[in-house]
Amino acid sequence: MNLRFVYATLLGLVIAGIVHIAAVLAIPHLSDKDAVSRARTSENLDHPQPIYTVATGDDPSPPEAWLPIPDPAVAVGVCAYDLTEGPMRVSARTGPLSLSLAAHARRGAFYAVTDQAAVRGALDLVILTRAQYDEALADDDENDPSRDVRIVAPDNRGFVVVRVIAGLPSQRPAANAAVQAVSCSTDTATDDTAKDTSGKGTGR
Amino acid sequence: MKLAIPEALGRHSTVAGARRSGAVRFIARLWRKSSVAGLAVYALALGGALGLATADWATSGGYPFGGVQVGAWTAWPRAGAASADPYTRAVNARRGEIPLAVGEGLLMTAAVDDAGRALDATCTYQIGGATPSARAWTLTVAGRGPREPGRAPVREGFTSTEVLRTPDGRFTVMLGPDVQPGNWLPSPRASGPVRLALRLYDTPAAASVGSLDRTSVPAITRLGCAS
Repeated sequence: MNLRFVYATLLGLVIAGIVHIAAVLAIPHLSDKDAVSRARTSENLDHPQPIYTVATGDDPSPPEAWLPIPDPAVAVGVCAYDLTEGPMRVSARTGPLSLSLAAHARRGAFYAVTDQAAVRGALDLVILTRAQYDEALADDDENDPSRDVRIVAPDNRGFVVVRVIAGLPSQRPAANAAVQAVSCSTDTATDDTAKDTSGKGTGR
Repeated sequence: MKLAIPEALGRHSTVAGARRSGAVRFIARLWRKSSVAGLAVYALALGGALGLATADWATSGGYPFGGVQVGAWTAWPRAGAASADPYTRAVNARRGEIPLAVGEGLLMTAAVDDAGRALDATCTYQIGGATPSARAWTLTVAGRGPREPGRAPVREGFTSTEVLRTPDGRFTVMLGPDVQPGNWLPSPRASGPVRLALRLYDTPAAASVGSLDRTSVPAITRLGCAS
């Protein structure tokens, strides 16, 4: 009699272990408060959505910042992407402030680059799927090789985080502006006209 | 009269005992009647409740694993990586956190001083020494939970650019409730635990946390407590 009860309890503990593992693995997929879901509102913007603007003078940081413990000296913006609509191009011009771009998918960050990797003051990041990457490689002009940094994303959905560090309080307005100055656009086609209008000129 | 009380007590206890044995007998009868289905329901309920409760407990709050202890500090090199453990990913998803990627920087947190005592808002601490090589760093202090509404924000942290240094390039930050000369970091609240965060940006240390040791991170020394 008691043995049956002990067996049932042991079985319950085994089920508890399975449920625990399943729940932990499912939380990133089910959560609607995670960064990928929250960043989705910025999908239609052509510049990063500011999620943390550093306090400037009398302007405190906005309360809608959803980062739990943000760095008070770093302005943060996100650009969400959906690669089913085409590759995502992030263009940044380097300035006096240090800037970093990191591409995140649901599993975590898969690529990060700082402005020290910029070529002639410009940092062009193109995030694409494997198929779009092959297409871009095939379309490449041999005489005019592309200077884009191409990254194959693990998922169709994700976001790029722009972080600009304001070392001094007087640099804070510039840091907020530098986040806004980054352009995030969807390359609708791989033809050169789309590249030229979206990739260049809008950086600053 | 003297005998009546123990008698009454005895009778009372026998009544209670009879009631208890009746309850036991009832449960035993129920138990005997209970089929395999009842046991299965019990096992499923136990498993479901226990599993969900432990999953919630493990993923609320800070990262349960993945920290590398360096002196009083804990470095979180893999918090933002795609190879982060499932618990770290679940914690990030629940909090909406965007952790620093390995190529971006490294987050280090401290909740205790060098002697292992918990950081408290009423105490004065000296945080000083060197940091691992980085292009920029910020040292910030935060209390647990949301900010106190009535408190005027004075200063939440120092950046590597604005901190005052001694001629040898080292620095000392004083964390405490009272105004201090030099780099004073006010306590974020009147009382309660506080946490320090050291964020290193664009640092080679993010890829090789094992190379960090106690001398390469700022020391946290308690100088005294107000109360």
